[in-house]
Amino acid sequence: MSTNIPANLKYTKEHEWVLVEGETISVGITDFAQSALGDIVFLEVPQIGVELKEGSTFGVVESIKSVSDLYTPVSGEVTARNTDIESSPEKINQDAYGAWLIKVKIKNASDLNKLLTAQQYQEFCNTSH
Amino acid sequence: MTLLKTHLYDEHVKLNAKIVPFAGWDMPVQYTSVKDEVLAIRNNVGVFDVSHMGEFFVEGKDAEQFVDYLVTNDIIGAPTGKAIYSPLCRDNGTVIDDLIVYKLAPGRVLICVNASNIDKDFLWIKSQLHGFDCTLKNKSDEYSLLALQGPKSYQILKPLLKELPDLEYYSVFETQFEGAPVIIARTGYTGEDGFEVFGDHACIKHLWQIFMNNGVVPCGLAARDVLRLEVCYPLYGHELNDELNPYDAGLGWTVKGQKARFIGKAALADKKAHYKLFKLTLDRGIPREGYQVLNGKNEVIGIITSGTMSVVTNKGIAFARIQIDKVPVDEVFLVDIRQKPYAAQLVKKPFVTGGHK
Repeated sequence: MSTNIPANLKYTKEHEWVLVEGETISVGITDFAQSALGDIVFLEVPQIGVELKEGSTFGVVESIKSVSDLYTPVSGEVTARNTDIESSPEKINQDAYGAWLIKVKIKNASDLNKLLTAQQYQEFCNTSH
Repeated sequence: MTLLKTHLYDEHVKLNAKIVPFAGWDMPVQYTSVKDEVLAIRNNVGVFDVSHMGEFFVEGKDAEQFVDYLVTNDIIGAPTGKAIYSPLCRDNGTVIDDLIVYKLAPGRVLICVNASNIDKDFLWIKSQLHGFDCTLKNKSDEYSLLALQGPKSYQILKPLLKELPDLEYYSVFETQFEGAPVIIARTGYTGEDGFEVFGDHACIKHLWQIFMNNGVVPCGLAARDVLRLEVCYPLYGHELNDELNPYDAGLGWTVKGQKARFIGKAALADKKAHYKLFKLTLDRGIPREGYQVLNGKNEVIGIITSGTMSVVTNKGIAFARIQIDKVPVDEVFLVDIRQKPYAAQLVKKPFVTGGHK
């Protein structure tokens, strides 16, 4: 399966992508994830101000057939949610890397070290599926 | 366990279908997009490979009488050439399977059963044959089956067959495709006009290829599930199972108590239901199988048996099985989605009206 994995992003093994912008990250799901899910029809993400813990679930994304949890890449407080994507979740299928879901203010910069590079994520996708 | 493959498996792989295990088979769940596949069938034409389903033939002098005895619906009273949907029940009234009976010719009946129940059904039906002058054959391995569905089905199929009259909905006709015998039924599981075509593996494979060349959209099991749920058709293993009787699943209309005798007649005579099946729709949230259904006081009253996002209405839709003594008189239903109650509206008619004849 060919997937698009931009080099400037970081990744989780749960198929989230992370864009680091200073002290804040944007989080979305990867092209691999959107393709595996199929038609995405519903998105649930936390309110602004909620404290998230790295590794815990922060929301769900649902396709017609399935429900998938979203995992927190880095601990911190939710500073923004993408209401445009919440009302039109099919945009995730159209452009997974253009569709950020939430922004999180980084609490521990060391959490970033646990994320995968594009190359590591590519290797992970190749070996685990 | 090795999964079975239909004779069209290589065609599905060529089309890049996503393949999943289903009822012991490797089946295409989706080719491109579930939405596009659903809409192709609602508005145009699509086709499913449903060769995993079972075909039993009952032949002989007593064929109709035997099948009439087996099932709850009226087989003897229906004319030759009709297709009849019916539950198949045990003596205690519980449902072994739901199936379609096709009256092909006098003394010749085809029964099409769910793939997951082929062995169970065959053993049961065989055990009931005593005293009837007819034979029972499981020809599931000899037949492939396509379901061509959608408003353009007739115009696609007619020129390919030796003959195809404008059949009534739920009727059956035997004809030829490229010299090979095929059984054509104006049935399906989508609510739209369409045909199911039973034939040998080679001829069905060629028919599939012709459909592909003629722009018929290949559709997978995911689209099939959305389509059947939109028009509120039950699915065995979800709305029906070995513990429920037809009344528990809203299928009382298929139980013909006036028939002289049929298996389960005595047990079903009081029409007693333990559950009631409701249709629910949600403006927000997608109900899924197994989610709990609550009343206005947040008390559990039942479960979702099937649920999805409707492609046509763009809302969550579901069947809910509610305990008969807990049916809320105020008709307030909530669905527990990830520990949060979501309001659901009770709907009396199917979520979508199909365009079948």
